[in-house]
Amino acid sequence: MEARGIAMTLTWALPLLLLLPTLGVVAIALGSDPRKTALGVSLLNFIPAFLVSGVVLREGEILFGPEVSTLREVFPIQFRLGCDGLSLPLLWLTLVVTLAAMGVARAEVKRSKEYFICLLLVGLGGLGAFLSVDLFYFFSFHEVALVPSFLLIGIWGQGDRTGAAWRMTIYLMLGSLLLLLGLLGLVFAVPEISRTLDWRVLTETLKAQPLGVKHQTILAALLLIGFGTLVSLVPFHSWAPGGYASAPAPAAMLHAGVLKKFGLYGLLRLALSMTPLGWKEISWVVGLMLAGNILYLGMASLAQRDFRWLLGFSSAMHMGTLFLGLIGGTVLGLGGALVLMVGHGLSAALGFAVAGEIGHRTGTTWMQDLGGLAKKAPKLWFYLMIAGMASIGLPGMANFAGEIMIFFGAWSTHPILVGIAAWGVVLSSVAMLRAIRSISSGPVSAAMTAQQTSDLQGGREVWPYVLLTALLFAVGFIPNLVLGPARPVLERLIQP
Amino acid sequence: MSPWICPEVLLVLAGVGLILTDALLPPGKRSVLPGIALATSCVLLAGTIWQSGQPMPSSWGNLFVTDGLSSVFKPFFVLCLVGVTLISVRTPMGREEAVRSEFLALPFFSTAGLCLLASAHDFLAIFVALELVAISLYLLVAFQRTQVRSLEAGMKLLVMGGLSTGFLVMGIAWLYAAAGTTEFTRILLEQAGRPASLALLLAVGLIVTGLAFKIAAVPFHAWAPDVYEGAPTSITAFLAVASKAAGFVLLVRIFGFGAFALDSVALVFRPVLLTLGIATVTLGTLAALPQRNLKRLLAYSGIAHAGIMLLALGTLGEAGMGTVVGYLWAYLLASLPVFIAIQEVERIYGNADVRHLDGLAQKDPGTALGLTLGFLSMAGLPPLLGFSAKLSVLSTLWNAGEIPGLVVGVIMAVVGLGFYLVPIRAMYWEREADSVPMCRFPRFLVWILLVAGLLQLLLGLQPRPLIRLVERSLAPSVSAIIQDK
Repeated sequence: MEARGIAMTLTWALPLLLLLPTLGVVAIALGSDPRKTALGVSLLNFIPAFLVSGVVLREGEILFGPEVSTLREVFPIQFRLGCDGLSLPLLWLTLVVTLAAMGVARAEVKRSKEYFICLLLVGLGGLGAFLSVDLFYFFSFHEVALVPSFLLIGIWGQGDRTGAAWRMTIYLMLGSLLLLLGLLGLVFAVPEISRTLDWRVLTETLKAQPLGVKHQTILAALLLIGFGTLVSLVPFHSWAPGGYASAPAPAAMLHAGVLKKFGLYGLLRLALSMTPLGWKEISWVVGLMLAGNILYLGMASLAQRDFRWLLGFSSAMHMGTLFLGLIGGTVLGLGGALVLMVGHGLSAALGFAVAGEIGHRTGTTWMQDLGGLAKKAPKLWFYLMIAGMASIGLPGMANFAGEIMIFFGAWSTHPILVGIAAWGVVLSSVAMLRAIRSISSGPVSAAMTAQQTSDLQGGREVWPYVLLTALLFAVGFIPNLVLGPARPVLERLIQP
Repeated sequence: MSPWICPEVLLVLAGVGLILTDALLPPGKRSVLPGIALATSCVLLAGTIWQSGQPMPSSWGNLFVTDGLSSVFKPFFVLCLVGVTLISVRTPMGREEAVRSEFLALPFFSTAGLCLLASAHDFLAIFVALELVAISLYLLVAFQRTQVRSLEAGMKLLVMGGLSTGFLVMGIAWLYAAAGTTEFTRILLEQAGRPASLALLLAVGLIVTGLAFKIAAVPFHAWAPDVYEGAPTSITAFLAVASKAAGFVLLVRIFGFGAFALDSVALVFRPVLLTLGIATVTLGTLAALPQRNLKRLLAYSGIAHAGIMLLALGTLGEAGMGTVVGYLWAYLLASLPVFIAIQEVERIYGNADVRHLDGLAQKDPGTALGLTLGFLSMAGLPPLLGFSAKLSVLSTLWNAGEIPGLVVGVIMAVVGLGFYLVPIRAMYWEREADSVPMCRFPRFLVWILLVAGLLQLLLGLQPRPLIRLVERSLAPSVSAIIQDK
């Protein structure tokens, strides 16, 4: 009884997780130091996160908000938050990547106030989406990040930032609205008497009374296209590489590291459990699309000459492998997908952070101009290696653990796709190793000599990289950090 | 409570009072008049809100009813009046300074017409109310008579308004011929259960056409952009919000509860309204894309909003009617502050070109934030109120099985972002292009913008108060009809 009471009190940690960044935004708007405030609230958010983790590990889940209402209303919207073993790894991913992004972001950037507000809002959007139990807020929080991303790329971006910002925004908006239709479909599929926006209740209802196969197929297709666009599934991917290449480093870290996981989380949480038959029906389409991601984007990444673009393509490409985990239909595959989500989030964040730092220190990210980086900036080069190795799935890193689980999980059902995905590992290795070779070895290029390139200086600049690297290895060696709490949820998810 | 102290009477008295005060004041003291007008409108708003909570009987043989719908929309119209007066007060009048009192008083008469419209339960009363609104508006649009643009706008509105009145009157005449009455409940009782006669369908068609002009639905929209651009900004706001809302309130009343809430009419007009909606939202959104004048942009955005509302209305169910009511409130909260800001831009630069917003975020972050929230809410981005409004339209369409309308609505919501982001982009992204230093907006206007933005954010996160309002607008009306029967 005592423990139960404490757990009840601790539920306040959930809204606190969202309140702190909001307060940070307000404080920055009112004039407190942007970078320090952003860093401060991102770090402070670890405290409620520890509390939440404690309850989730002990009780399985934590919920905040009013009881599910059975009132018959047009929109039974209720502000309810929740966290279980599946959301927990993503919560931590969000917090870590947000902290690292704030650490990498420079205080002396132009219009720093708006910059850090936008960054905080992007992080807040991801956090809110992972913690929402009500579909209305689930969707809304993700959209909160849309306009800040538009501004981040448009104002502080590089290259063709205008085109990239518009393309990304229009794509994501279109994807979101298709997704919205899918969500509406799920909600309206339930008879009026038990209609609710709470996905926990909705899942139970739809498991007890499954929809017809055709109905499920339509809904699953809507959700696939909606979430798929957000995850840059081929052929809805073309916003991603350019968007990430143009975005300022912290924005790319947050977007590739955190927000992209929203789509996967949504598919895992909603599509797989509520429309399992439909998902099975369309799994061949998903197979074609993910093969497109792996082969087409893998080939495209070979042709890149700019390190940022290479990262953008390789990040989009790995989504193919992730989807393989989702269509395998085994707990092993789903677990692998979750581990890879975390691994990819960390490695993509690390990669974009390094790329941003290189761009800042050398004035270029063209790989032919970066020869000899290893001599001039050994620390940067080291983290570049880590990011590259993680991305191609070197054993010991989180990505490897995830990929190998996905391959095993999907082997019995989709052997051909596993073959394609394995080929994708080769493609991405070639692209990444070529890039690393041309960046690290060779004589110091003229551009770098001219720029007086310096390395990362001291702990103040290095810690975000250390943080991300440490976690990549930690999850790589002990995938149970992620899988332990998530396994019961995943098992429940695919139970008929 | 006596119906003689209803908002309509008070509004007319206030308008007359303003003109008389102007005549009686010594010439040097006329500068107090805008303050008086603003204070009067605020008092009237408070009175209307208070009165809308009071039960009132129907009067004059059902010519004038007080029900949920009217009690929800009278405060709406008077709130519009407050906004319009606020903008009017800050409008530079130039050579028309001497007749500012008329400029301030005429919206009161127009608002009286709108309130009457919300309560009218007979097509004759509707005609009188609409003309009261329209004639005041003809004067107001052409008020800056030394400017060609304003005159052109006035002329266009006059011709188009006359035409729409023609359609409406013709429709009413046919209706009388078909049903033998112009009172809503009696039409309903008379026609219920019968197949619709050709004369009745023709009457409905003509009346819908007349109202389509008022709400600027395609293909009767062509007047809107020019008139919006040429009219003084306060009047543009009045046209865009109050006048458009009036058309919808009327449509909700006749198709939702009175007169044409008939299955036989629904059979024919459901597809008609939905088609109108699809055409309107498509044209409004696409035509808004190349606009670079904020008033024209809002004109087309208003057309697009009308289309979305027509889609919800076209489902002809209770949910659709409620959705329209909620959507109108969301539209009011989003667009009035934007018009207030446009007035300030126009005051400084002489026109409302979007490039005057360049770099506003650095010069005046508060205004930029308020405007951004307004535009984003209009675009329907969560978690703002506009999203909840759009979501309810989409879910109404989904529930009614209107897939074409749903698909078009979704696509246009995305395309719409293409022009709603244009001013936001200008404010945050562009550098200050003009060498003219932008005067900072008056602080109290910035606060209005910010409070409106915050309200949209809060209502977007928790739309329950608005849902209660919608429920209130629908529930008593239905019971009123049952009582009549």
